[in-house]
Amino acid sequence: MKPIFNTISSILIGSALLMQPAYAETPPNMLVVGFSMNNILTLDPAAITGKEAVQVLANIYDNLVSLNAADRSKIDPQLAESWTVGDDNSTITFKLREGATFASGNPVTSADVVWSLKRVMKLNLAQSTSLKTHGFTAANAEENFTAPDEHTVVIKLPKKVDPQIIIMTLCLVGPGSVLDSKAVTEQEKDGDLGNAWLTNNSAGSGPFKLEGWRSNERVTLDRNDEYWGDAPAMRRIIMRHLAESQSQRLMLEKGDIDIAYSMSAADLKALENNEDVKVQTIGGSGFYYLAVSMKDEKFKNQKVREALRYLIDYQGLNDSVLPYFGKFRDRPIQTGISGALPSIGYKLDVEKAKALLAEAGYPNGFSTTLRAISDTPFVNLAPAIQATLAQAGIKAEIITGSGDQIYGAMRERKFELIVGRGGGGQLPHPDSNLRSIVYNPDNSDEAKLTNFQGWRTSFYDEKINKMIDEALVEANPEAQIKKYEEIQTYYADMVPAIQPFAEVVDSVGFRADIRGLELNASWSTELRTVTKER
Amino acid sequence: MTANLLHSQDATMPETRRKQSLALRQLVSLFRELLGSPTSAFGLVVITILLLTALLAPVIAPYDPNIINLGNALQPPSAAHWFGTDELGRDILSRIVYGTRISLTIITIVSVIVGPIGLIVGTTAGYFGGWYDTFMMRITDIFLSFPSLILSLAFVAALGAGLENAIIAIGLTAWPPIARLARAETLTFRGADYISASRMQGASALRIIVKSIMPMCLPSVLVRVTLSMATVILTAAGLGFLGLGAQPPLPEWGAMIATGRRYMLDNWWLVAFPGGAILLVSLAFNLLGDGLRDALDPKQR
Amino acid sequence: MSNERLFAFARQAGTVSATLIGLLVLTFCIGRLMPVDPVRAIVGEEADQATYEMVAERIGAHLPLYQQFIRYVNDLTHGDFGVSIRTGQPVINDILHVMPATIELATFAIIFGAGFGIPLGILAAVQRNKPADHVIRFATLIGHSMPIFWTGMIGLIIFYAALDLVGGGGRLSDYYVGLVPDRTGFILIDAAIAGDWEVFADAVNHLMLPASILGYSSMAYITRMTRSFMLDQLNQEYITTARVKGLSKSRTIWHHAFANIRVQLVTIVALAYGGLLEGAVLIETVFSWPGFGQYMTSNMLIGDMNAVMTCVLLVGVIFIALNLLSDALYKIFDPRTR
Repeated sequence: MKPIFNTISSILIGSALLMQPAYAETPPNMLVVGFSMNNILTLDPAAITGKEAVQVLANIYDNLVSLNAADRSKIDPQLAESWTVGDDNSTITFKLREGATFASGNPVTSADVVWSLKRVMKLNLAQSTSLKTHGFTAANAEENFTAPDEHTVVIKLPKKVDPQIIIMTLCLVGPGSVLDSKAVTEQEKDGDLGNAWLTNNSAGSGPFKLEGWRSNERVTLDRNDEYWGDAPAMRRIIMRHLAESQSQRLMLEKGDIDIAYSMSAADLKALENNEDVKVQTIGGSGFYYLAVSMKDEKFKNQKVREALRYLIDYQGLNDSVLPYFGKFRDRPIQTGISGALPSIGYKLDVEKAKALLAEAGYPNGFSTTLRAISDTPFVNLAPAIQATLAQAGIKAEIITGSGDQIYGAMRERKFELIVGRGGGGQLPHPDSNLRSIVYNPDNSDEAKLTNFQGWRTSFYDEKINKMIDEALVEANPEAQIKKYEEIQTYYADMVPAIQPFAEVVDSVGFRADIRGLELNASWSTELRTVTKER
Repeated sequence: MTANLLHSQDATMPETRRKQSLALRQLVSLFRELLGSPTSAFGLVVITILLLTALLAPVIAPYDPNIINLGNALQPPSAAHWFGTDELGRDILSRIVYGTRISLTIITIVSVIVGPIGLIVGTTAGYFGGWYDTFMMRITDIFLSFPSLILSLAFVAALGAGLENAIIAIGLTAWPPIARLARAETLTFRGADYISASRMQGASALRIIVKSIMPMCLPSVLVRVTLSMATVILTAAGLGFLGLGAQPPLPEWGAMIATGRRYMLDNWWLVAFPGGAILLVSLAFNLLGDGLRDALDPKQR
Repeated sequence: MSNERLFAFARQAGTVSATLIGLLVLTFCIGRLMPVDPVRAIVGEEADQATYEMVAERIGAHLPLYQQFIRYVNDLTHGDFGVSIRTGQPVINDILHVMPATIELATFAIIFGAGFGIPLGILAAVQRNKPADHVIRFATLIGHSMPIFWTGMIGLIIFYAALDLVGGGGRLSDYYVGLVPDRTGFILIDAAIAGDWEVFADAVNHLMLPASILGYSSMAYITRMTRSFMLDQLNQEYITTARVKGLSKSRTIWHHAFANIRVQLVTIVALAYGGLLEGAVLIETVFSWPGFGQYMTSNMLIGDMNAVMTCVLLVGVIFIALNLLSDALYKIFDPRTR
């Protein structure tokens, strides 16, 4: 078989050389970016979900402040040139820069900022969640977002929390995006605050403006000639919907695209030796984890959960399945975030797990189900975890499906085991991880706190809730770090429903002649600084 | 009444049996004819191999199709792994061998669903006629107004992804042509003397349909079911490919291609072999079906 | 006579409308039974319950089924197919946008399929049961038996990745996107109107591979039917007579036999054209072709019911129309059914 194929392929390659393919390359002032846009359903900043839309909108809208691409804990000025936190930690005052304009030519004023924030709350769509968590509502938006003068924005905190986390939230594309209130109001229909119009139009002050969006086809961005900052080198950015990692790779290799955002590990690895292409990996948001439902009698037992902890081949997964997707991490706070403790170093230990299972009354293991999305790396993670579970006699039947089916089951609290990804982390604040992964204020079914993984897994611990709440309001930075460290130790002792085994990293491939690409861990990579060196 | 019943049986049964044995003899000569043509003989041979492989899968497969060995992932074809290994280090040949069982399961269950439904709908519609016939035929028309893949896609979308649902969905889309055929056959028998005779002797409609009409329709229905096998296999693979059919880690060929696709550029064997298997089996059924059609429709010979 | 015709026509119309109503019910059931949750697709993973319920109410997902059906049919009769969740645009606009891509693909495919299929069918009939007949049957049946998505992938590896003979995924290389004004949605026509032959060539380059694979898959049916029609003709007396009268073999075949089956062939090709929709669903996925098939499958995955129902309905209507068309052609042109 092999010799035959070799002959065929050498003939093919030989004739390919003879054919001298035309040299494909994108034009010097046009950037072509490829990624899967399946999840983009709208480009209205208040309604977007998922990282793909953020990757688009980061180039269209400015925020008051932005997260530094290189140093996650640093906050850079954007439309605000400075900001101060009130003495009692209950107000934040932003001073806007002079001379910033929207793509329409309208000046950026504090009224626009306040209007945009209120709009997020009033529409009450996907992006309102991160502000609602901290007590902002449509009802109290009026009093909490105010503009005393044209260049000042004052935000009053409705709940006592660390003001840093609010500032970080305002860095996010979505809740913090500043819209041209005049331009949007002109397009308002039936009091929708421009929601329908913004689905495929833009009204931002960023370096690019939306020229067109065809769902699952392409997004075209044109340079915003009114941009207040340094003019970007690119006249146009085309973002192409390339659902397949292999197509992204092929086109990247051929120079048909310049940057590929969503390639799989196998393809990134294959590009390692390609001189025309570079791969860069940066920290991402959230974890890869094994979660149990504590509605299940078996998993209610702490010994069983602890046994599972020793039935994950941390090292094996890290080496074989997770390169380019994640890196080893067994604590509930991502590395690089203040207060994060070093990893404990859990290892696959079948004997220990068996002993724990015997103690729990399952000396011969049990049968259960393991859910995973039918996408990489989950399709690879699930069978690998299934195999290690089997070593201790736990027979886990794998159930795969779309994200909606798998996480849908989790939201309905109808699952046993899930290997998944999540756990906050878009904000570089330890509260972001902890609140998402373990916090659960109300464990009743009726509460439907589906945005908390803690609720989804039916994990409820009053003490840890209290610890998380207290840490967030701690005004003294050192004391706050100490509190977060205590939470992590407590987490390790009590074995909650979610065991992280890696933290997410994002890997991007790009042509070697691309310069100035600064990947942002919060997905909001700005392509403004990109140039081509040819 | 009892006497009548007995009598009616006496009157109809020998006739039916005679026709049945005639049909059987026709089947035998059909087989002989099929083997005479090189293309349909090829089809028959491949299908026989498929059956044997499914039956003897544990003996034939060199490895356990589900054993994961991440250290041995993505190995090209070699003496140890003739068809190479996949992204989890599973032996592709073994997975294809076990995959024959899934293919055969799909084919068998679809036939078991489709045959009876088509037969019942067709014979009753043909026998009773009237508004019932019109109603039933409208329903078959509605189902026939979709290409089978699109309709089964829609059904799977409604039922949820998975092998069982894919089988049900394919079954739901495959019965209408059978019903059409059974109805047409029934119409030709309905007026036959022996049917009228048993009706006059008071046999119930149900009895006549089950005992007299259905057996007569059976041979042609069987042939028609065989003809649709290739489509069934391709539809199942297509659903698997779109992620709506059999789910990993089941070694369904279409699903294997769907996962293998992510590695296709460097690891051609992940898609080439399962695809080749689908092609071979569906080609075999197509060739056989083609031969059958020729054999049964002398006009085209 | 005319009364009879009128009656037949009314009957036909009744049949078609009954089928259409059934079609509506079926598509609605499919749409509403979908386990995928469109509300969740809109609000995203992290949204809380209040947001979820608000959106559910806005898109009418909270109403009981029968009310949703009434609403659906009512909207349909007003020509309103609803708004797609994925694009935020009226579904009908979306379909008008994606259809040209699919039609362009299918048209090229059918040109390929019929262009090769019909001559091969004739050859097979003439060479009946000889090796050529077997080879043709075998070769065309391979096209019919291959999983089309797989052939597409293999084709991409060989002709795009290795040989660089054809364009990759999509309808155009990015460089050419937006260079010619979008007048008809058909890139070839638009490029020709604009006189931009470079864009035209690029579009053909992208179209070639998926269209020929799709065409190959339809060839078996076309070849087989051509062969059988042709055999019908060749067995007729007039052919023998013509041959006896000394007409050359090729002349009899082309001028007499082929001339007589042209109408039948048109109906066959029309039916095959409809059948290509099925292959398009798969091939468009492989080639990232922004057409009807991709629109339908990607919307299915997020539970975009308005879009899916309209697509399913549209396919049903197209098929019914094609069947009616082929029936009508038969009735008009085939003397035996007149």
